[in-house]
Amino acid sequence: MNQMNESVIGKNIPRSDGHAKVTGTMVYPSDVIIPGMMYGAVLRSPHPHAEIVSVDTSEAERMGAVCLTYADINPIMYNERSVSIPAATYRDRTVLPSKARHFGEPLMAVAADTEELAHKAVKAIKIEYKVLEAVYDPDEAMKEGAPQLYENIYLGDNKLTVKNNIGVVRNIDEGDCAGGFARADRIFEHTFDLERIYHNQLETKCAVCKPEPDGSLTVWATAQSIHANRQLLARILNMPLSKLNVVRLPFGGAFGSSIQVNTVTPICACLALKAGRPVKLTSAREEDFYSHQKYPARFTVKMGVTNDGVITAAHVKALIDFGAHQVQPLPFMGCTAGWFASLYKYDGNIRFDGTAVYTNKTPCCAMQGYGNPQINFAIESMIDIICEEMRFSAVDFRLKNYRGIGDEFWGQGPTIRSIIKSCGVEQSLVEGRKMTDFENRQRPEDRTGDIRRGLGLARGFHTSGTAGPKEGEVIDYSSALIKINEDGSVDLVTPVTDHGGGTWDALKKITAETLQVPFDMVGLAPAATTNTGYDVCTHATRGVYCGGAAVYHVAMKVKERLLEYAGRLMAEHAYNLEVARRDELGQGVVQVKHFPSKFMTIGDIAKQAQIMSWGTIAYTDSYRQRNCPPCFTTHFVEVEIDTRTGVITVPKVLIFGDCGVALNPDLVKGQLIGSFNRGFGYTVFETMPLNEKTGELMNKGLLTDYKTPTSAEMPKIEDVEVILCDTYEPSGPYGAKGIGEAALASVQAAIANAVYNAVGIRFYKLPITPEVLLAALKKKEQEAAK
Amino acid sequence: MNTKILENEFEYSKPGSLEEVLETLATKQNVRIFAGGTDLIVKLKLGALPDMEHMLDINGVEELGKIETRADGLEIFAGAKLWSIESDRRVEENYPALREAIQAMASISVRNMATLGGNFCNASPVADAVGPVMCYGGKVRMQSKRGAREVNAVDFFLAPGVSVLEKGELLTSVYLPAPKAHTGHAFVKMGRVKSDIAKISITAVLEREGDRIASCRLAMGSVAARPLFLKAIGEGLAGKAMTEALAQETAQNISDFIKPIGDNRTTAEYRTDVAKVIARDALVSAWKNSGGTL
Repeated sequence: MNQMNESVIGKNIPRSDGHAKVTGTMVYPSDVIIPGMMYGAVLRSPHPHAEIVSVDTSEAERMGAVCLTYADINPIMYNERSVSIPAATYRDRTVLPSKARHFGEPLMAVAADTEELAHKAVKAIKIEYKVLEAVYDPDEAMKEGAPQLYENIYLGDNKLTVKNNIGVVRNIDEGDCAGGFARADRIFEHTFDLERIYHNQLETKCAVCKPEPDGSLTVWATAQSIHANRQLLARILNMPLSKLNVVRLPFGGAFGSSIQVNTVTPICACLALKAGRPVKLTSAREEDFYSHQKYPARFTVKMGVTNDGVITAAHVKALIDFGAHQVQPLPFMGCTAGWFASLYKYDGNIRFDGTAVYTNKTPCCAMQGYGNPQINFAIESMIDIICEEMRFSAVDFRLKNYRGIGDEFWGQGPTIRSIIKSCGVEQSLVEGRKMTDFENRQRPEDRTGDIRRGLGLARGFHTSGTAGPKEGEVIDYSSALIKINEDGSVDLVTPVTDHGGGTWDALKKITAETLQVPFDMVGLAPAATTNTGYDVCTHATRGVYCGGAAVYHVAMKVKERLLEYAGRLMAEHAYNLEVARRDELGQGVVQVKHFPSKFMTIGDIAKQAQIMSWGTIAYTDSYRQRNCPPCFTTHFVEVEIDTRTGVITVPKVLIFGDCGVALNPDLVKGQLIGSFNRGFGYTVFETMPLNEKTGELMNKGLLTDYKTPTSAEMPKIEDVEVILCDTYEPSGPYGAKGIGEAALASVQAAIANAVYNAVGIRFYKLPITPEVLLAALKKKEQEAAK
Repeated sequence: MNTKILENEFEYSKPGSLEEVLETLATKQNVRIFAGGTDLIVKLKLGALPDMEHMLDINGVEELGKIETRADGLEIFAGAKLWSIESDRRVEENYPALREAIQAMASISVRNMATLGGNFCNASPVADAVGPVMCYGGKVRMQSKRGAREVNAVDFFLAPGVSVLEKGELLTSVYLPAPKAHTGHAFVKMGRVKSDIAKISITAVLEREGDRIASCRLAMGSVAARPLFLKAIGEGLAGKAMTEALAQETAQNISDFIKPIGDNRTTAEYRTDVAKVIARDALVSAWKNSGGTL
C-alpha cells in the first residue's frame, strides 16, 4: 500500500475565497458595473396604507429619467418565494402594487444616468394618495371592521377571499392530546412573545440587469437561488427561460432574506427592459429595513407532565403577524410545528393551531431557522419552567423525552419527515453537564449581591435540507456537472450558492475526496442558470447535505467513467482499479487494488482519452436526498447580571454542535460562534418599534438606532468553547449534515434560562433589554417588600 | 433621506490658512465646517441640512490640528483628531477622564476622523467629550474676522444643536488648565453597545485634601437639553469627608434633580434609575483615583 495522504474531509484549510474577501477584490452584486449602465432608484410609500389616486411622472421624465409605474408592469400575481410546490404557494403581489400596504413599500421606480439624478427624479414624481386607515396589531386586524389589506389573493390557481386579514390558518393534530393531558399529573401553560427583528446582512439587496442584443436578459443579483430568480423573472417578463440568464455570485450574507427573489430584482429587470439599457438597483440600508424582517410570533404552549418526568402531550397555539405580503407563512407555520413536534416525544400527542395575519407592516420572511429560534425559545423555556417547578434535573428530563436515533424528525413541516440516524444530543448533554458542573449550580434564591451570575441550558436543532423519502410541499433537489481536465485537474460546475458559510469549499472537498485529486486541483467554475441544472436554493441548512450529495453522486459517476477508461489503457478490469491521491505527483492516480505500483495519473488517462478521441471524462445529473437529518446543538450559557443597571453580559459559553462529520471544522465552529452573537442580539438587544401614527420604524431604518452586539459585547474568545460531536450521518456526503441554522436555534432559551438562574425572574418576551430587566427587578423587589 | 449618496450640491473649499478660513466664513452664505465630518456627513445624508451651500474643510490649516502645551495647561485645536488626543501622553497623565470619554466614543475608524472641536460645535446634549472638559474647568476659544474670544465650557451650550458660536465664528481650540495635585477623575458611560451614543454619561473631577473633598465638579450627558453641569451639587461637596454614604446620598440627589426624556436609546425612567448608579460609581472611583481610601 502506498503511504496514505491525509484526507481533506475534516481538515482545516484556508478558505479559497479568503484572499479575495480580505483584500476587497471579490466581486459582489453591488460591485458589478456594466458599460452604459443606468442607476435605479425606488419611490417608497410614505404611508402605511394608501390608494394611489394619480401619478404624474412628466417632470421626472423631462429630467431624463425612465419611470416605471404600475401601468408599465405585467400585473401577474406571484409570491417571491418559490421553494414550495405551486399548489402550496400563496400569491398576493405584483412587481409594483396599485395600493400601498406598508410604509416603505416600493411603489414606483426610475432609472437615470447617475444615481444622484435618479434620486432627484424620484422626488419629482407627483403622486396623489388616498390615505387609508392602517392596522398594525394582529389581534386588531382580525376584528370585524378592521382595515382590510386585501380582497382577494391566490393559493396555487385558486382565487381566495381574505376575511378579517387572516392570511393562513394551519392546524395539525396528531395522536390524542386530550388523552395525553388527562394522563398528566401537572399541566403547564404559558404565552411567549417574540418581536420582529431585522436580518442586518452585510450587503443590502442589489440587482444589475442587462438587456442583450439577442433579446435575452442577463441578471447579476443577490440571490440564494439563481434558478428561482430566473423562473420568476421569466414568468413576469413573459420570456422563455433560455433567454434569461441569472449569474451566480458571492453575496454579502442573507440569513434567509434572499431565499425569495428580492423585491428590487423584478423592478430592476422591468426598468432595464423599458430603458433598453443595463440598470443597477441597490437598496440603501434604510430601504433594506423595509424589505424583509424576521417573523414575530406569539405562542401559547401547553404541556402535560407526569410526576416521573414524562411529557404526555403538548399543544401550541401560534399567532403570526407576517406583514403586508405573504413570503409564505404557510410553510413557516408548518415548519414551526415541525420543530416543536421534533424536539420531544410528547407520547406522540401533538397539536398545533396556527393563524397568520396580514398587517400594514414590512413583509416577514425566513431568517436563520424559519421559526425554529422562535418556537425553540418557547419550548426550551417551558422545559426549564417544568424542571424548576417539579425539581427535575434539566439534563435528565431532556434525555428522557428527546427525539433521537430511530425517532421521526419533521424536516420541513408535517409533509417532510425522516428517521433520525445520527444524534449528538446525549453526548452534548452528558459532557456539558460534567464540564459546567451543571447539577451543582446555585439556585436563584441562593444568589445574592449586586452582580449575579447564572447558568442556563437549552438544546435545539435544525433540519439538513427539505427532502424526505416521500415528496411533500417543498421542492428539494440539486444538480452538478463535473469534468476531468486533460492534466488531471477537475472542474466543478454547481448552481449552489454560498452565503459565506464555506459551502463552495465543502463541495470542492467532496469532489476532491471522491476523485482523490488534491484540493487545489478542483476548480469552481463560474456558473449561471443557462449552464447548470436546477438547485432549489441554499436554504434550510441544505448546501452541504443536499448540494453536496448531488456533487458526490455526480463525482461517483465521473469516477466510474474514469476507471473504465483507465481499465482500457491499463489492460485491467475497472472493478480491479481504484483512485488514490498522490501528493508527490501533484495529482490523483488510478491504481490497481493492492498493487499500487501499477498506476496511471488521472491527467495521463484524460489526455489519452482526448488523443484517442474517446471524449471528455464528465458527467452531469440531478440528485434528491431522501432524508432530512437534524443537526443538533446544545448551549450552556453563563450570564452575569448587574442588578443595579439590568445589564446582561456573557462571561462564558459552551456550545455543542452535531453536524455529523465536519468537512471544515473551523468554519463550523465559526458559524456556531457567529450565531451565538446573533442569538445574543435577538435575546438582549434587538428591537424595532414602530411609530403607530405613521407606520414608520422609530429608527427610520438606520443602524444608528438598531444595535446588535459587536465583538466588544461578546465573551472573550478563550471563554467560548465549541465542541463538535463525534457523529456520522450515514445518508450525508462523507457523513456530513448541516449546521447553519441549528447554530442559532437554542441560543435564546439558553440565555433566558441563565437569566432565570441568576435572578429568579422568568422572561416570556424578547428582548430582555437592560430597561426590561431592571423594571422586572424593581417589580420583584417591591413585591417582596409587601 | 438617502444614506447612500449625497444629493445636495454645494461648494467645497479647503484653505491653507486660518485667515482664509475666517474670510470664507465671513463672506460665504450657509457655510458648514468640515473638521472630521462624522456628524456633518451623517446630517447631510439624513437631509438635515437642506440649506448648506458651502463646506469649509479646516484640515488644510496645519496649526488647527495641533495639541500645544501652554504654561498653565493644554490647548487642543479644533482640527485635532480624537485618536491623536486619546493617544497623547499629556492627556493621559493630566486629563484621564477626557481620554476615557474619547475612548468610549464610537469606533476607532470614527475617532480617526472626528475632532474635539466638532464634538463641541455639534452641541449635542449627549456629547461624551464635553463633560470632562467642563469638569477640568476648560475654556472654548473662538475667532472670527471681528476678533477672538473665550468662554467657559460650561457656558458654551444653549440648546440642542445650539451653542454661543456666532455667524462667521470658528471654534479654534479647547483649553484645559493644569490640574492640581490629588485630583481624581472618573468618566462613566452607558450605551446600548460599546460603540454607541450614550444612554447616559457622567464625569466627576475632584480634588482631595486628606479625607475631605476640597472641590468637586460633576457633569452629565444625555439627561437634559444640553450637556449638564451639576454646579450646585458639585460645590455642595466641598469640605465634606468622603464616605460611601455621601456618595450614595449625592447620587440620589442627582437622580432626583435630573429630568431626562425618553428616546430611541432608552427611557426616561431608566435614565433616572441608573443615574444614581453611575453617579455613585463615578464619585467613588474619582475619590480612589485621587489617592483617597474608603
